Amino acid sequence: MSELNKKTSEPGGLLKWIDDRYPLIETWNAHVAEYYAPRNFNFWYFFGSFALLTLVIMIVSGIWLAMSYKPSADEAFNSLEYIMRDVEWGWLIRYIHTTGASAFFLVVYLHMMRAFLYGSYKQPRELIWLIGMLIFVVLMAEAFMGYMLPWGQMSYWGAQVIISLFSTIPFIGPDLALWIRGDYIISDATLNRFFALHVIALPLVLVLLIFMHIVALHKVGSNNPDGNDIKKFKSPEGLPLDGVPFHPYYTVKDSFGAVAFLIVFSFVLFFMPEGGGYFIEAPNFEPADPLKTPDHIAPVWYFTPFYAILRAIPDPFLGVLAMGLSIAVLFAMPWLDRCKVRSIRYRGTSYKLLLTMLVISFIVLGVLGVLPSTPLYTKLAQIFTIMYFAFFIVLPFTSINEKTKPVPERTT
Amino acid sequence: MINTFLRKLSLVLTVLVLPFGLVNAAPSYNIEFEKVDNNLRDKDSLQRGAVLFANYCMACHSVKYMRYNRIARDLGWSDEQAVEKMAYNQAKAVDNVLTRMEAGVSQALFGIEAPDLSLVSRLKGTDYLYTFIRGYYEESEGVWNNKVLEGTSMPNVLEGLKRHSTEESFDQATTDLVNFLEYVGEPNKVERWDLGIKVLLFLFVLLILTYLLKREYWKDIKH
Repeated sequence: MSELNKKTSEPGGLLKWIDDRYPLIETWNAHVAEYYAPRNFNFWYFFGSFALLTLVIMIVSGIWLAMSYKPSADEAFNSLEYIMRDVEWGWLIRYIHTTGASAFFLVVYLHMMRAFLYGSYKQPRELIWLIGMLIFVVLMAEAFMGYMLPWGQMSYWGAQVIISLFSTIPFIGPDLALWIRGDYIISDATLNRFFALHVIALPLVLVLLIFMHIVALHKVGSNNPDGNDIKKFKSPEGLPLDGVPFHPYYTVKDSFGAVAFLIVFSFVLFFMPEGGGYFIEAPNFEPADPLKTPDHIAPVWYFTPFYAILRAIPDPFLGVLAMGLSIAVLFAMPWLDRCKVRSIRYRGTSYKLLLTMLVISFIVLGVLGVLPSTPLYTKLAQIFTIMYFAFFIVLPFTSINEKTKPVPERTT
Repeated sequence: MINTFLRKLSLVLTVLVLPFGLVNAAPSYNIEFEKVDNNLRDKDSLQRGAVLFANYCMACHSVKYMRYNRIARDLGWSDEQAVEKMAYNQAKAVDNVLTRMEAGVSQALFGIEAPDLSLVSRLKGTDYLYTFIRGYYEESEGVWNNKVLEGTSMPNVLEGLKRHSTEESFDQATTDLVNFLEYVGEPNKVERWDLGIKVLLFLFVLLILTYLLKREYWKDIKH
């Protein structure tokens, strides 16, 4: 027990005044100072805190962008260039926001990868996973709507492609697309509502879901790279032997991680904010023109694996279904994976091979989603779409009888 | 612990960088662009580029997101100098840099509205611009075409400049022009680089400090 924590247990003065009226110390202790986390977190466990940091970066930079941005089809593009040139530090705020969008997806994908590696979605953490998946879906909606706001060519035509997906749904499709756009084409009305959803509705939902994600995590406690339960072995005082209080141990460790993250973030921000044309796409430096389609419409990199699945299926509606299913199937992971052992360290070869296949197909689909479709690329996308889904189809059968290694009782 | 950390870090980085390499291998244009060797820190080159832009481009094109006083500040001119050199005293320092052509004239003469060039370097890339403005060839007597953009509506405005200069000075002039266009695409670019170095240096110091703090706290924990 650190001295720090003891001091806060007997408050006086202002702290006592507040604590008599609000469970300040109780909350601090339950979730920070006396929240025990496994001591053996590795590299993969940084990405949750990076995601939280990115959320803060996005909210703060977003507030300042909204101060000078004009959500109108006539003014949006100009106001962005006004931010880039005439607003003090406007270019910095704008690049923080664009870099943050890509960083968000990068850390969230790696955060999800961690769950696949160490079985973090398994009993008793199914609800954490489900809430996390909801966060992912809302984040995709948030990113999609934000991408329309610059009102460049790619903003416009990317949105055109995505919204037209809804019109492929039988019977209700065309009316649904009309309802989303609020007009017969993507227009000022669409831009205005997307702005409202992007800056108010979805961020509120995101913050609430992230709060629930952490509350659910703290109810059952963190998993760890060994996938065992640190609450099994306790000291005479009832503290987990393989755990350390989140503060100060993980606050200092995550501070170090945050600085490392910010170095990578700043490198992109200051020296390659366009990310080679993948973070900010070149056609978006031309104002939206409803009469002129760009030669090649590619979504931003973080959507391309799903976009490749969409394009791989010849029938548009079945393509939309496959794309939806490729995301929806992730929700079912806690029940598709029937192996009792959580961590990949002690799991059988079948899971290791399947996971490798999933990661490779996800990355290859991501690359294919950026490229223009040619017969060869379409064929490849079909093969890797099958491989992507094969993971989820095969897993329930292989995981039930997996040849696992014994899991150590204590963390290593 | 450090070793496994580095191993995993390098694995993650490799996996992340791989897709970029694969995608960049895809060709996008049929011809190879000439590489332009311009330098945004060279203010003399930017000044020459601005004057060339005013003389050869502004008859039709604008850079409407730039103001004369901003160009003056960044290029080392006084406001008066910028207005004199670029607008022949026909504009105010706070004005946006607009074309001298009246609306609709371009449409009537060339069948197309001459685009604003504020962001053309970011849209097309500097090598594209360099190759384009140097890419005119005479198809038949007095009929010009462009190897980058076949059948372009833009006349070969640099023809006179090219005829009256040596190869070297034409290279320099076109480089200056592209340099100016890259500058107007993102006038804060040099400031961004300079600030970036300082931010990274600060973060590296902070990285060392936070690492030492972490090590101090964790030294009695077995992990």
